[in-house]
Amino acid sequence: MISRVADNCFWFGRYVERAESTARLLAVTRELVFDADLPPEQCWQPLVIVSGELPTLLERDGAAAVGQGEVVQRYITWNPDNGVSLLNSVRAAREIARTIREVLSIEVWEEVNELYLWISDGASEAAYANHREDFYRKVRRSTQLCLGLVRSTMLHDEPMRFLWLGVMLERVGQTARILDMHHHTLSPATEAGDSQQRLVELNLWLSLLRACSGFDGFMKRHRGRVSREGLVSFLVFESQFPRSLRYCLRSALGILGQLYPPGCGDGVGVESLASLEALCRWLDKNESATRTTSIHDLLTNVVDRSSALCSIIQREMLGPERPSHTEATAQ
Amino acid sequence: MASPEADPHALFARYQPLAGSYDEFISNEGTPRAHALTAIRLLTSLGATELGRCQALAEKALISGGVTFNVYSDKRGAEKILPFCMIPRVIGAAEWGRVEIGLVQRLRALEMFLDDVYGKQRILKEGVIPADMVLGAKHFIPKLHGLRPPGGVRIHIAGIDLIRDPEGTFRVLEDNLRTPSGVSYVLENRLITKRVLPQALEQLGVRQVGQYAAQLADSLRSVAPNQPEDANVVLLTPGRYNAAYFEHTFLARMMGIELVEPSDLVVDADTVYMRTTRGPQRVDVIYRRIDDDYLDPEFFRPDSVLGVPGLMRAYAAGKVALANAPGNGVCDDKAVYPFVPAMIKYYLGEEAKLEQVRTFVCAREEDRRYVLERLPQLVVKAVDEAGGNGMLMGPQASGAECAEFRDRINAEPRRYIAQHRVELSTCPTWDPSTLDLVPRRVDLRPFILTRSSPSAPSSWVLPGGLTRVALRPGSYVVNSSQGGGSKDTWVQKAAT
Repeated sequence: MISRVADNCFWFGRYVERAESTARLLAVTRELVFDADLPPEQCWQPLVIVSGELPTLLERDGAAAVGQGEVVQRYITWNPDNGVSLLNSVRAAREIARTIREVLSIEVWEEVNELYLWISDGASEAAYANHREDFYRKVRRSTQLCLGLVRSTMLHDEPMRFLWLGVMLERVGQTARILDMHHHTLSPATEAGDSQQRLVELNLWLSLLRACSGFDGFMKRHRGRVSREGLVSFLVFESQFPRSLRYCLRSALGILGQLYPPGCGDGVGVESLASLEALCRWLDKNESATRTTSIHDLLTNVVDRSSALCSIIQREMLGPERPSHTEATAQ
Repeated sequence: MASPEADPHALFARYQPLAGSYDEFISNEGTPRAHALTAIRLLTSLGATELGRCQALAEKALISGGVTFNVYSDKRGAEKILPFCMIPRVIGAAEWGRVEIGLVQRLRALEMFLDDVYGKQRILKEGVIPADMVLGAKHFIPKLHGLRPPGGVRIHIAGIDLIRDPEGTFRVLEDNLRTPSGVSYVLENRLITKRVLPQALEQLGVRQVGQYAAQLADSLRSVAPNQPEDANVVLLTPGRYNAAYFEHTFLARMMGIELVEPSDLVVDADTVYMRTTRGPQRVDVIYRRIDDDYLDPEFFRPDSVLGVPGLMRAYAAGKVALANAPGNGVCDDKAVYPFVPAMIKYYLGEEAKLEQVRTFVCAREEDRRYVLERLPQLVVKAVDEAGGNGMLMGPQASGAECAEFRDRINAEPRRYIAQHRVELSTCPTWDPSTLDLVPRRVDLRPFILTRSSPSAPSSWVLPGGLTRVALRPGSYVVNSSQGGGSKDTWVQKAAT
């Protein structure tokens, strides 16, 4: 397929996934503020940090901004200058979809177009003002539906594979960043606080699980026992949880293997495959070491290496990088 | 039973056709035309409330589907939907049969004319058409002389604009043989009609239009330089800011072919390739929706950064087919148009089966004098413009506007032609403000596909075509950029 089109498929997947993840994270953090006995800035600041927007927000709205849920939500949801805002992710996804309409199924196009029309319209502003939960829910539903339609209405050939590769690699970054939000509660060093501290951590962990749509899955795997190791093992290593780092990286590896079967001749894809295989092996090797290594270091490594991988994929298969596409910066 | 909708005649009872125009549904005596009877009965039985609901449903479907065109004049590159009126235009089977034959005849002559003009130029040498009129046309490309297109077809896709005069006679208004657009609206309008008025299509026996994409793909493959069955056909678009981008994606999707931009193509050793995720892949046929001038900077405009360098070399070498062929624009010239009946006579030995509109060519002295004396009664058009640009509507123009055109004509007589304003036919059209039917003027753009065949190119006409409607009261301008909309065109099946 045309490299430019493959590039658009890849980024369409990334933007839709990013919009979904952003909406989910915002909704979950709102809940956390109600549930956890924490000062507001401890709930909102990590969210701003993982989006890579902390310096800009501080400069724009001052130091107090990170403690004001409304300011943060408005900035992350609506701000047109914030490259990773929900609004911009939806707009970018739709603009790409418009460009590659002949590639997407009509169902996928209509869903993303309707979401875009709604979010560009006064009705969504009103929903945001009066029914915030419904607003985020609607964005999540629509983006999830969109990705579901990709798999159920499109040919499972090259365009869909590039699209799904984008979804998986975006998800690796999102899960790693979300987990990193409260990494200080996940490192072995923080073990054994008082019971009050335990309760706060418990709430943060449950919130992390919800932020990754992993609550139900985690409870099934761990029979309701919430522990630090359990959480890390689930969100990083659970091979059957579709948002764990391992699942996403292995899926991406599978897709690359389908796109460029070994020995297909022309050498394209070889470097991408090698880089991703190495990352998967590295993750496997570190599974047993999470008791001792810092979870923050592990996550940082995954984020850095997966974004390096995206650059290789870009260079090998997708043609010149487009300045308009924004990579959320790693922390 | 007192509600107006219970009265089977309510909807059309208040409908008043315009005096002096042909109405597509109602005769001058106020009686329904035979071919429109069933449609009238059906629409009336639905009633105004239901029609209003259908109209709203149709508009919502168009917006959700993103059936839009880009507005150049709008700086933000806004997308608009082409307003759609779900009251159809109905054409009887016999009437359409005559139009179809006339279109095919016209296309045959135009193909032969282009071959001749870019070949031996017999028609010019014999003085049937003044040579300077043809060779001086802005879109005539002397560099293409002697070049035969692969497959022997030049007008793969034609859009011929027709209007209907007060007697109901179809007349050709202009030929579009370069990159005619609008067919996606024909197909989308039908999809929407199927959703909102499914029973009507069935009861009326309306001919299908859904086969267009398959026919187009076949026509394009037929001109492939080698092995038509495995030919790689692509659609070349200027990109997503083009006014017709929706149509480009639509047609690529309907045909299952790649939609490419100029930067996706590269020419090596006179062969065209597209850049793919697996390296270069050969391209055999290009359905290009880019103007001649921007196809290849090496050939047309050295100053341009757009286009595919070397594309015309590959074309000249017979390694790639371009649809439509470059150079067709000479036929779209409004000063060449008056000579089409003479072409038909010359090449086919037949009388033209479709009427035209009497045209005064300002390059000719006696015509010019006639035009300048009667400017306020005439419609003046620049020969190389389209979309209602460069036009003077005499009867509606101010003195200053007429004076300006007088100067323009005197300065560049070759650039202008004039015609008497034709009272375009009207069609009942839904008025959302009054929830009632009003007469609005319409034209018709049928689409004709021509494929290569061993004897001579053969043409197929899409039943119906794009009916454009001037939605503003009293307006004659149907262009989408100037308040025009569209209707579904229902061609009835011949009685069996």
